Amino acid sequence: MKGGSNLEKILTKGEFAVTGELGPPKGNDVEAVKKKAGMLKGYVDAVNITDNQTAVVRMSSISASAICLQEGLEPVMQMVCRDRNRIAMQSDIFGATALGISNMLCLSGDHQNFGNQANGKNVFDIDSIQLINTVKRLRDEKKLLDSDEEIEGEVKMFIGAAANPFAEPYEYRPYRLKKKVEAGVDFIQTQCIYDMKMFKEWMKVVRDLGLHEKCYILAGVTPLKSGGMTKYMANNVPGIIIPDEIIKRMTSAPKGEGAKEGIKLCCEQIQELREIEGVHGIHLMAIEWEHRAGEIVEQAGLLPRPKVD
Amino acid sequence: MSNDFDPKIVAFCCKYCAYTAADLAGSMRLDYPPTVRIVQLLCSGRADVLHLLKAFENGADAVFVAG
Amino acid sequence: MIVADRKPIEDIKEMLTPYKKILMVGCGTCVSVCMAGGEKEVGVLASELRMIDKMENKNWEITETTIQRQCEREYIEPLEEKFKEADIVLSMACGVGVQYMVEVFPEKIVLPALNTTFYGTTVSEGEWEERCAGCGECVLHLTLGVCPVARCSKGLYNGPCGGTDMGKCEVSKELDCAWYLIHNRMKDLGKIEMMGTFIKPRSWKQSLNGGPRKRVREDLKK
Repeated sequence: MKGGSNLEKILTKGEFAVTGELGPPKGNDVEAVKKKAGMLKGYVDAVNITDNQTAVVRMSSISASAICLQEGLEPVMQMVCRDRNRIAMQSDIFGATALGISNMLCLSGDHQNFGNQANGKNVFDIDSIQLINTVKRLRDEKKLLDSDEEIEGEVKMFIGAAANPFAEPYEYRPYRLKKKVEAGVDFIQTQCIYDMKMFKEWMKVVRDLGLHEKCYILAGVTPLKSGGMTKYMANNVPGIIIPDEIIKRMTSAPKGEGAKEGIKLCCEQIQELREIEGVHGIHLMAIEWEHRAGEIVEQAGLLPRPKVD
Repeated sequence: MSNDFDPKIVAFCCKYCAYTAADLAGSMRLDYPPTVRIVQLLCSGRADVLHLLKAFENGADAVFVAG
Repeated sequence: MIVADRKPIEDIKEMLTPYKKILMVGCGTCVSVCMAGGEKEVGVLASELRMIDKMENKNWEITETTIQRQCEREYIEPLEEKFKEADIVLSMACGVGVQYMVEVFPEKIVLPALNTTFYGTTVSEGEWEERCAGCGECVLHLTLGVCPVARCSKGLYNGPCGGTDMGKCEVSKELDCAWYLIHNRMKDLGKIEMMGTFIKPRSWKQSLNGGPRKRVREDLKK
């Protein structure tokens, strides 16, 4: 075992994994974290705790992850390269593992321009692929970056990263994943998938490169809540492609039925993703819709979640 | 702005067209306001932002370049 | 070249308000080429200041001069007399020029009229873009001549991130994604395998993080 987490055990056993997403509050409201954790517990194998996503200041990923652990929900601590240098990152990884966190996701991070601290200075001392490699070194070689001094204790971490098959240059994206695999990633979660044809083409190259045997691939899904949200995401969110037939289906849903249609669509997508060779699970990003996550997982026939030791 | 405002205008005119036109206006006994001061340039391409600013510094209310 | 932008006139006016005899010094090198602080720009700013002086009775006496370079002692030293007569010096050079004039004439205060912005080039008339970050460890051989430090908004060494949109950066549709450019160059030049090379974490010691950098050529030292 690399991290020894529930997520790793499920994937190692060959079970189809389900991860969720939990955005910490814009403050220190512990109850808010507990409430969201309660909504997801039992429905997902682990939950990503975002790290100041869209560069909006929120409770730290490490703290919200620790609260989730107390609530009996396994966290995947996200860590972005935007806000910390290598000293802070490695220190936080020590801290996180000390608190019992055993999954993490290495990300570049949204640029600070998007958030509520747009005048801030970013760090990007190392990038996401370099971070993967740094965590692997801490874990496997017990050494800090650029140092031969042995660390005290063990860093047990199941290392994750993101992959976006829908960002240009498309032909390069499977190779970027290869780079992450070579850097030491154990599992990846993809950007939300709506264009199934494009995702299948990406997966084909991923399989041809043998990457699906070197890391676990969790396919990203986000339920669409309404026709309006669908159009907004299609037009405004970089790196997300929504095919016309989905936009049409969502915008032509009867009034008040948008959410229902979105969940139905999401479940269909999950079924289709399960059929793809090399997809080991799904990553359900029900953004500010944590209370509907259980319903989606249930409708998609993914309950009960497997128990592993 | 009151009606008795009589703007001082500096015109930067090309010797071969705009200035000649002003000359012709004179020989045709057409008149233009005495507050328009003409500066002859060998070519309006010679007009420089520093010339225009200089005119303003010296009290012009407006400047124009004709060529 | 070093590219700069003139500060807003209000800021310059505020800086100069306590003084009377102002010496404006332009720089005839980089900031002339990017039309921010050469002889012409000194003239324009001086004219604006004289108009403000007239309208607001500032009692300013403005002297204009432009030297070849404010980053070299031999060009600055001949200004000695003018410096002596002035209450204040307003430099229209980059930050190097302002500081070097202070070093040559430490008894005077030199104010900056420009914001020094970047090392860049003129991409079209009236348009300049950043190309180098002066980071101290060039990787252009690894990226085929497109700098990820200066031109990727996240300075990624192993890009592109997932935010590329139609070849543009997630930060702005006005910005090209540097890694998209790097990828396309590698592809066009038949070197796409370079995109697979993992670039390891670098040392930032050669960059600003170790304090001001210094270069010494022992063979040239006197």
